[in-house]
Amino acid sequence: MNETEQIELTLTLDGELVTFTLGETLYEVAQRYGREIPTLCYDPRLEAFGACRLCMVDVQGTRNPVASCTTVAQLDTVVHTESERLARHRRTLLEMVASENGGAVSVDPLRGYASQELGLLIERCDARTDRFAGAHSGTSKLDDANPFILRDYDRCISCYRCVRVCAEQEGDYAISIANRGFQTQIVTEFDHDLRDSACTFCGQCVQTCPTGALADRKALRNA
Amino acid sequence: MSLPADQELIEQWRGEPAPLLPLLHAFHDRDGYLSDHALRLIAPALGIPLADLYGTVTFYHHFARDPRRTQDAPRVCTGPVCRLHGGEELLAALAHEGATAMPCAGRCDDPVPVLRGHEVLIGASPATMTAPPPRLPSPNPGGREECIFAEIRTPDRATLAGYERTGGYAGLTRALDEMTPQAVIRHVRESGLAGRGGAGFPTGVKWRAVADAEGQPKYVICNADEGEPGCFKDRVILDFDPHAVIEGMLIAAYATGARAGFIYLRYEYPQSQVILERAIEEAYAAGYLGEHILDSGFHFDIYIRRGAGAYICGEETALLNSLEGKHPFPRNRPPYPVTHGFEGKPTAVNNVETLAAVPQILRREPSWYQNLGLGDIAGTKIISLSGDVQRPGNYEVPFGLPLQTLLYDWAGGPLPGRTIQAATMAGLSGGFLAGDDLDVTLDEPGVRSKGSFLGAGGIMVFDDRRDMRAVTHNAIAFFAHESCGKCFPCRIGTQRLTERLNGGGPADAAAWHAEVADIAFTMKETSACGLGMAAPAVVESFVRYFPDQVAGKR
Repeated sequence: MNETEQIELTLTLDGELVTFTLGETLYEVAQRYGREIPTLCYDPRLEAFGACRLCMVDVQGTRNPVASCTTVAQLDTVVHTESERLARHRRTLLEMVASENGGAVSVDPLRGYASQELGLLIERCDARTDRFAGAHSGTSKLDDANPFILRDYDRCISCYRCVRVCAEQEGDYAISIANRGFQTQIVTEFDHDLRDSACTFCGQCVQTCPTGALADRKALRNA
Repeated sequence: MSLPADQELIEQWRGEPAPLLPLLHAFHDRDGYLSDHALRLIAPALGIPLADLYGTVTFYHHFARDPRRTQDAPRVCTGPVCRLHGGEELLAALAHEGATAMPCAGRCDDPVPVLRGHEVLIGASPATMTAPPPRLPSPNPGGREECIFAEIRTPDRATLAGYERTGGYAGLTRALDEMTPQAVIRHVRESGLAGRGGAGFPTGVKWRAVADAEGQPKYVICNADEGEPGCFKDRVILDFDPHAVIEGMLIAAYATGARAGFIYLRYEYPQSQVILERAIEEAYAAGYLGEHILDSGFHFDIYIRRGAGAYICGEETALLNSLEGKHPFPRNRPPYPVTHGFEGKPTAVNNVETLAAVPQILRREPSWYQNLGLGDIAGTKIISLSGDVQRPGNYEVPFGLPLQTLLYDWAGGPLPGRTIQAATMAGLSGGFLAGDDLDVTLDEPGVRSKGSFLGAGGIMVFDDRRDMRAVTHNAIAFFAHESCGKCFPCRIGTQRLTERLNGGGPADAAAWHAEVADIAFTMKETSACGLGMAAPAVVESFVRYFPDQVAGKR
């Protein structure tokens, strides 16, 4: 380790020379230096996934912006975390996400720890909720009779944080991704109720959901 | 004959490389569909969580999950060209048999293909459906020297004897007898051969990277998941020149140090699988595959793996996940397959056409291939030409040939009394060229200068009768159908563009255009793989070339 500490690794972040450690992603570097790059599919406990594309940053010498969460920092790169182009992409992406969610961005905070993420980002990035009108993607399973987890997938934005936390943090592999594209749904084996699956009702999926599509039924009952 | 028992099937495949797809196919073939019971057996046998296996199976559209609608229910091509030849009508006529639509099945020169289990039929109505005739590429109309098709028309070329008679395995023999792996790589690099699946990455450079990469074993994968609408070139190579692909893989393996390889074949080509299996068997028997090939210290095995209906599996990292039995989302890159490919090991993924060119190049000098191109770009490209032209088919063109020469001189031009309205590029991914932009040379710099790309080389022609809005709507609906659902811009963008080409979106024209432009801009620059980056091209080029049709039909 001494060797890597001796060689100072630096890159330019928004005009400022900053240091990083080997293997750090651009997102992690930027976060350490106080940048608030928007994300929806990111959870620091999980392997970077690169799906929401909100964390795109400009890297000098590449034609398109890159996803900072999956891009490992390289020596001497010149990175910009804000630009007109990035702002436009982020706004469009958030407006598209809001459209699949039926604009249902105001969420009861009791639903879960991360449930306000989408709503706050839409506000922060000046995204509208009335563009890109069209079909709704998720289909709620309100009839899943388990007493713990509300599966309100009408609010789902297919970030798969629930699926990934179930696999990577809990090792339960109770839920997965069925179908593809806009038809994607979060399902258990054979699309049964959670009680008939490998789910242990640990609640990790609820707490990582950025839209309140998964909610803590107990908390909502006690409110 | 009694059907194999569950356990027999599992034991047959459990220890094999990349076992999930063949095991699923084994149950699918036996039962006609994939039952819950089968998935409950397969999941623990292969160590896959049941929920993951269930989700992954639903990703592949050719796996039947319903005993009332099995794999024998007809699948009717409703691709862009087959729609012009009654694909939708045929689908309706076969509705009573439980027929469903499938995207372009790679027979645009012989519409309309119908897939029934392992059988392919063609025809425009149930009464006229027949087995497809063997359709060799016609002799090169321009009299140009060919590479890939140079020997493909000689009789029995698909058999080992016929292949050997026409120079077959001479490239491999030369490589093993006279050349080091490094020399083979240098030879291929100097020839200028580049990836013919669409990306155009220099083949020699790719092989060098695999050869230099740390990690063992190494793999060679033949990407035969030809799913791009309007492309049917790989099928013709596989059907009529299977040994050329095998020899190409062998040379790639020798150059990179690979010990095993896979051919990932699209589901829609069951006949190609039979032909390939026979060729591989012959190659083993003759000592071209297996251990101590041609009495050397070189060993190589080839396994065929059949896809199950997912365009995205032609994207090389999704293909790797599919082979590994994982959910076939594309992977984040870097790292690239050359260092982290199949099971994380160094892997050369090459297209069928690229591999088929290799034996020809190895038999000769690199300059021979170089000089086949008319301009600065080395070599040749197979163009699958279809739609409203007199003589659709596969043509091997020298890079730099004017598109108009291909369309008019080689393929006979439009049908009598018609004019060409538009032609797609890269199958469907390059969108349309129209008007003066049809004056273009067939090479990447030429086509890119018109805002499109040549890619895998499919060109579909639409004459002045065609409703381009309908063509565009079906095209973008294809990308929506095939979007994997991982990255947001593609998953949502393909859906929203499809709706906007079908009467949806804002009523106000300026707002409609602004939405379409914003979606396209963000898809092109932020999508995680080529599908999402390319998909808006059909819509953008439609809006650019046909503003009247946009306004009239929106």
